[in-house]
Amino acid sequence: MFPAFAKYRQSFLIGLQSNLVYRMNFAVRGFFSLFHLAVVFILWGAAYSHSESIGGFSFGQTLTYFLVMLVMQFFVGAFNEDYQISEEIRSGLINQFILKPINYFSYRFSIFLAARLVTGALILIPLLVAVPLLKDYLTLPTEAWRYLLLAPAMMLSALIQFSIAYCFGMLTFWFLEIQGFVILSMAIESLLGGQMFPLDLLPTWIFNAAKFLPFYYQTYFPTAILTGRIEFAATIQGFGIQVLWVLVLLGVNQLLWTRGLRRHTAVGG
Amino acid sequence: MTKYFQIWLASARYSITRTLMFRFDFFLWALVELFWMGVNLLLISVIYEHTDSIAGWSKYEMLLLVGTSLLVQRFLMGFFWSSLFEMGRNIKSGAFDFFLAQPGNILFMASTRKLDLDGLCNSLVAMGVVAYAAHRLNLHPSALDLLLYAVMIFCGLIIHYSMLVMTISLAFWITSAQGIEGSYFTLAEFSRLPREAFKGIASVLFVWLLPVVVVSNAPAQILLHGFQPAWVIALVAATLAWFATAVFVFHRGLRRYASASS
Repeated sequence: MFPAFAKYRQSFLIGLQSNLVYRMNFAVRGFFSLFHLAVVFILWGAAYSHSESIGGFSFGQTLTYFLVMLVMQFFVGAFNEDYQISEEIRSGLINQFILKPINYFSYRFSIFLAARLVTGALILIPLLVAVPLLKDYLTLPTEAWRYLLLAPAMMLSALIQFSIAYCFGMLTFWFLEIQGFVILSMAIESLLGGQMFPLDLLPTWIFNAAKFLPFYYQTYFPTAILTGRIEFAATIQGFGIQVLWVLVLLGVNQLLWTRGLRRHTAVGG
Repeated sequence: MTKYFQIWLASARYSITRTLMFRFDFFLWALVELFWMGVNLLLISVIYEHTDSIAGWSKYEMLLLVGTSLLVQRFLMGFFWSSLFEMGRNIKSGAFDFFLAQPGNILFMASTRKLDLDGLCNSLVAMGVVAYAAHRLNLHPSALDLLLYAVMIFCGLIIHYSMLVMTISLAFWITSAQGIEGSYFTLAEFSRLPREAFKGIASVLFVWLLPVVVVSNAPAQILLHGFQPAWVIALVAATLAWFATAVFVFHRGLRRYASASS
């Protein structure tokens, strides 16, 4: 148990170092996310100027939703893990993991955790600018259970995010170029993950169907818990579906890895 | 000038041949862009399910604005995106040497190497969105209005191009531009908002300092309300200023380019 832990602890530390090298990239991305918040503020502010409440929520609640969603993306979202995995397969770097006693999924996941630690810390910088500016609008519910359940929901969300990115990375065994698939999935994720608008604004039947898809549990679920857009009973039910999706995706990951390796040709020496 | 046009034609021919070789890629990317456009249109549709007006703009006026913004963006994707996307990576890897060795304007050679037919195909869809919105609004623009609209779209394309060149040029200063291109999309989000929604400091910053709002609002205003000199002058001035700045920033960055060790 402990030797295995030490192994992945090392890869976590290496991941931390290599992500810190690109801290400027993440910082720039974090800075530009302030612009996204400005778009949200202007667009929804204009929409709310004609109605007190949209979908039963005030302007402040909607703005809080988008701010929390942004933070969530930096803490649990997969950034370019799919491309990194794809590159390792394509370049043959993956060969070393086949020969060593290391589980590739765990290795990549430990690097993903390190990357999220860096991006999560960096988003706090633009947040220091945004929160004082928006403090009159921000409003969070007071129920304690929301804060208690947030951490497990975020951890499971991170696992779903990473697993989906891992699946797309694995596609490199079959396709030379995965960028098209990744960006298509980004569009689906941004829509059904609630990044474009709160999902509860969708027509009821679409919203109910979205609850059964993994995208709902990527960022919307933890965001909805924290911002009061979901009640306790629905949260518990949501956890059940979220755990189910984690298990399904882990299974798919394993399947793609074993099937993909059968097709893999290690060229060169 | 003719020489550059011939170079561009050669690149276009190469891109078309390449697209015919990788047909699946073409369909996939066309689908990707179509889906992203759908996501943006759905956002508008969802908001208008709950309200009648955004800053005084009705649903179909907003659709016309968003369609115009998407049209400029599709042209950018079609004509320049792939080349500029690769430029960032080439600066990091040192493969940018290839462009420095070519006997031509470096920025031209680096930004027109590849043409994306999927982006250009989807520009037809964006035109369809604009035409549909104009039809629902019962608009009948004159031939002059349409010509001016086309000129405004061209100016918008140059401004978007300049913004993207500046974003990618950051790669000269920071080690990797990976993920930085995404910042361009964040700025482009502003072009889907009506001018009237911007108030106070946001108006100064996004309407007057950054031209992102003018890019889409100026052509949309021509279709909605006919020729408006103020909008046209603002857009042409912004086009010249931003293109000049982009060329300056690119060449400044070029001085820092250190190639890569073997």
